[in-house]
Amino acid sequence: MLNIALPKGRLGEKVYKLFAKAGYEFEGILDSSRRLVFENEALHMRCFWVKPFDVPVYVERGTADIGAAGKDILLERSPDVYELLDLGVGKCRMAVAAREDFVDEPERTLRVATEFPNIAGNYYAELGRDIDIITLRGSLELAPVLGLSDVIVDIVETGTTLRENNLRVVNYFADLSARLIANKSAYKFKREIITEIMRRLRGHD
Amino acid sequence: MPDYRLRPEELAALNLRSLYSDYGYSFYRMSRFEEYDFYADKKDFLLSKNILTFTDADGKLMALRPDVTLSIIRHIRSTEGVQKFFYDEKVYRVPRNAENFHEIAQSGIECIGNLSDDDVREVLELAVLSLHTIADGRRCVLDVSHAGLIASLVHENRNDILKCLAEKNIHGLKSLDVPEEVIALAELEGSPESALPKLRDITGSHALDVLSMLEKYHGEIHVDFSTVNSLNYYNGIVFSGYIEGISESILSGGQYDNLMSMMGHKNVKGLGFAVNLSTYGDTASQSAAHSVHGSPAHPPAKTSGKGGIHNA
Repeated sequence: MLNIALPKGRLGEKVYKLFAKAGYEFEGILDSSRRLVFENEALHMRCFWVKPFDVPVYVERGTADIGAAGKDILLERSPDVYELLDLGVGKCRMAVAAREDFVDEPERTLRVATEFPNIAGNYYAELGRDIDIITLRGSLELAPVLGLSDVIVDIVETGTTLRENNLRVVNYFADLSARLIANKSAYKFKREIITEIMRRLRGHD
Repeated sequence: MPDYRLRPEELAALNLRSLYSDYGYSFYRMSRFEEYDFYADKKDFLLSKNILTFTDADGKLMALRPDVTLSIIRHIRSTEGVQKFFYDEKVYRVPRNAENFHEIAQSGIECIGNLSDDDVREVLELAVLSLHTIADGRRCVLDVSHAGLIASLVHENRNDILKCLAEKNIHGLKSLDVPEEVIALAELEGSPESALPKLRDITGSHALDVLSMLEKYHGEIHVDFSTVNSLNYYNGIVFSGYIEGISESILSGGQYDNLMSMMGHKNVKGLGFAVNLSTYGDTASQSAAHSVHGSPAHPPAKTSGKGGIHNA
């Protein structure tokens, strides 16, 4: 049995459609119900929806053999897993954004609001910049508008939300998209099926 | 009725001890503690950056060992010929994804001195046999890679490239503009028969030719360059071992001549590995718990060495 963890939500649905096109279908998985686990006995596969942020945990600990996770989450959690494929869906970028009138004063500690404290921390550590990280769970655009932070480190897809809140991108620094990941041990012992899945998913880029 | 005589990891440790002594390795026991400073400047070698310290009776800052290899190298009396040691100790680390220190049961061997290809072969053979000994009939794999070969191909941007190699992240490597050989190395995986000729084609390297001396174990040995240990310390063969059903690598090791020379033993080779028996024990008790609900997760223990011990 091969266990697959998919991120619940829009990205996960896009990824599932790639799997379905590649011939890995799970009946009823896109219906709006509260069921989380779906099995295809003929394929000998089981697929389950988990919180996007938790996909690497399921895969690293081997509960799922493979999974799909956004690169943002992989960068944030640095799980010890294989990153086998760029699935090419959910493309966006990690960026630093600030108010239109923001001027950086290098001698002052920069207040950074983000949902990704490790990514933000690493980015500014490389720049040698002293920062104060404020971890938030969403609606980051509010932070600079209300003066909670100087900048935000966040995912930017089109930039519309930023513009509507009078924010601008200061710098893009990472390309993101959904990635196929695998548990390192599972990869050794389920190599044939995992490489077959990779081959078929690649065919539908 | 639970069996309280030996836990799975204790049984495994005893079986490994008899395996290593059958091969002529002598038992190394740590009875003292090292100073904190001894470990502090070798943190890259240690898997965890955290070191558990205490103040000794004379006021010195000491450490509970995070590792055994460093102490064996430090206390080695002579580097004449080849010295072979095995150990069975507790080490103290903060494991990946854990918040606090854990006591980890670790068994392993070190082979130090003027090593020949036969010594390298023997250590690799013992690594495979160690996996067999504790696998209880489950499948196991030893992934073998070569730190020196990787170092010779990767110069600039080393950390990013090594991270991608460890992740089998081909799309990441391509975006880093690495030489074609590095991508070919990342894509190369398979049994020694199929991988060694390809490796020679890609790099002209004979670095892993010692694997052809291990034909008997070719079913379990896999050439795979996603095993990347610190290039500062390791210079030769590096490897990691996996057992089916255990989600993380349970055995890891390699040749660390660079570490030997950093610790004052110039031109002396060192090679060894450690088995993480705590990880093994956790999963062994889990599979025992699962087997209550159905058929046993795996057949009864089968030991390959002479004088193996069984829990009836």
